[in-house]
Amino acid sequence: MNEKELVLAARGGDRDAFNELISNYTDRIYRLAWKLSGNQEDAEDIFQETFLKAVDNIDSFRLESSFGTWLYSIAMNVMRTCFAKRKRMQLGPIEDYMPDHANGANSKLLDWGDPHDLFENEQLREMIDSFLSKMSPENSTPFVLRYMEDMPVKDIAEVMDLSVPAVKSRILRARLALRENLTEKFREKKDG
Amino acid sequence: MDNCREYLENLCSYVDGEVDDSVCREIEKHLAGCPDCRIMVDTLRKTVRLCREGKEEPLPEGLKARMEAILEKKWKEKFGKDEG
Ligand SMILES: [Zn+2]
Repeated sequence: MNEKELVLAARGGDRDAFNELISNYTDRIYRLAWKLSGNQEDAEDIFQETFLKAVDNIDSFRLESSFGTWLYSIAMNVMRTCFAKRKRMQLGPIEDYMPDHANGANSKLLDWGDPHDLFENEQLREMIDSFLSKMSPENSTPFVLRYMEDMPVKDIAEVMDLSVPAVKSRILRARLALRENLTEKFREKKDG
Repeated sequence: MDNCREYLENLCSYVDGEVDDSVCREIEKHLAGCPDCRIMVDTLRKTVRLCREGKEEPLPEGLKARMEAILEKKWKEKFGKDEG
């Protein structure tokens, strides 16, 4: 069965068809929820709520997008509700992330070299995950979808219900903020 | 170049290979004379590279089984006991 046939079968109550539809997404949605929430408990709640809502709403899925896009949109809404209560770090405008520097020879930016010379893989991962989970989800979500899930920008725009330029700008700010955060850690390590 | 900030937005697109040839040439010309922007490009590239490496978070023990049980219940509520 192709995706459309699977959706129609699932709508008619075919549980196997539904399982096949979600099989490619269960791990990915859990990991996304984990990265964005930063803890297992919320990740598991988001994960379950997403698939329960998918069952609830399967009749209203009109096949206008791919099943995956539709499922991610549901996950986005579930996360929005889950994260609404939490205070997160808001990112500033893009210009804030370019330190002032003189043109020419007097470089003030830290040259990272190879970050693996400073920290173990595990520590690097921990720093990144920890920073992303503190960041406002409006920035961390598109960043994680783009670079950790390899989702194209136009699909992210669709699942987040945003314009392409808005998605690009949010990804950029997340990337610049993370770069800056890592730079601070690397500087401390080099100085200390 | 007086203002590197103007390059910032393009630097990211440049790193991702998403800029036109003409913009690309302009950026490369600037990079040749600006060590800070060169560091910016290098570190922006490494930021994403670090995000992509490392092993994936394993799924918690029993998560799939718990999920299966919950879905099973939901499915029965929605479609009745008769499956298939
Ligand atoms: Zn510059």
